[in-house]
Amino acid sequence: MELSHLPLAAIGAGLAVIGAGLGIGLLWANGLQSMARQPELLPKIQVSMFIGAALVEGVALFALVICFMQMK
Amino acid sequence: MLESAPTKQELIQEFIHEHVLTHSANGHTWNLPFLHVPALNCLRYDWVMLGLAVVVTVLVASLAARRHRPVPTGIANVFEAYVVFIRDGIAIANLGEEEGRRMTSYFCSLFLFILTLNTLGLVPFCSGATGNVGVTCGFAAMFLILAIVLAVWRRGVIGFLSSFVPHGAPALLLPILVPIEVISLLSRAFALMIRLFANMLAGHIILFAFLGLIVTFGLAALPVIAVVVALYFFEVFVVVFQAYIFTLLSAIFIGLMLKPEH
Repeated sequence: MELSHLPLAAIGAGLAVIGAGLGIGLLWANGLQSMARQPELLPKIQVSMFIGAALVEGVALFALVICFMQMK
Repeated sequence: MLESAPTKQELIQEFIHEHVLTHSANGHTWNLPFLHVPALNCLRYDWVMLGLAVVVTVLVASLAARRHRPVPTGIANVFEAYVVFIRDGIAIANLGEEEGRRMTSYFCSLFLFILTLNTLGLVPFCSGATGNVGVTCGFAAMFLILAIVLAVWRRGVIGFLSSFVPHGAPALLLPILVPIEVISLLSRAFALMIRLFANMLAGHIILFAFLGLIVTFGLAALPVIAVVVALYFFEVFVVVFQAYIFTLLSAIFIGLMLKPEH
């Protein structure tokens, strides 16, 4: 099994995770703020936050899958 | 330490690669845990895991349905709470009242099936079939076909095509907007596939990468096992969450196709 471009793949994976961390962090920050302002909307906001987190993670995982493909 | 042809790093790569492929059902042949029956060599891990998940899902659902009484007890009680959760939270909230009631059984089966497949990846002698991109591609294809067939059936072909035209867009921009809308439908299906596949695969890769540290550093790296156990608990949460997200997102996207864009 050849190690083709493995260090570059590792750097790419790290960059992808930066994007995911920023996205999810911003999302939850604003979600928490809105939950504090209007506690009666808590269940709806929580569900929306989880959906948003899954979408952001999905995009970051595209990049991660391409990094995994360098392992072959 | 080996100085000859396979370097230590390559050995670790082999170790991770081999175990991840086995535990993510990527084409390895399956055989009984401690016996080796040559006739069973034609079976692959993903087929066996898929069949097992089908058996488990049908078994659980039929056991719950058999004990159907006015006041449910035991497994029927749990199952009813689960069906009500899916019906109210996923089906009716995204598809409307009557369509949601019709599609509840589909989402219940889908959630239970994906949950079983994901969980089998964490069980000792089994592997996770959702770590195989072909299996998740099948799920995404099922979602895509369902979305298109439902939209054509409920809204007609004209209605289906008009769902790609955003409401209130100036006619000059339509040659740009309509292809973008079509691509966004396809990319939603693609994202569903990649999300589930990459979450399951990455979990296994991280676990085995940590175990590979023991190969590099020898017995001094044994405390890494505590980290691996902690990550295993996190994996259990990820398993349930990813099954829920797949079901929820497919319900949301089907609802987007069915609603007239007013």
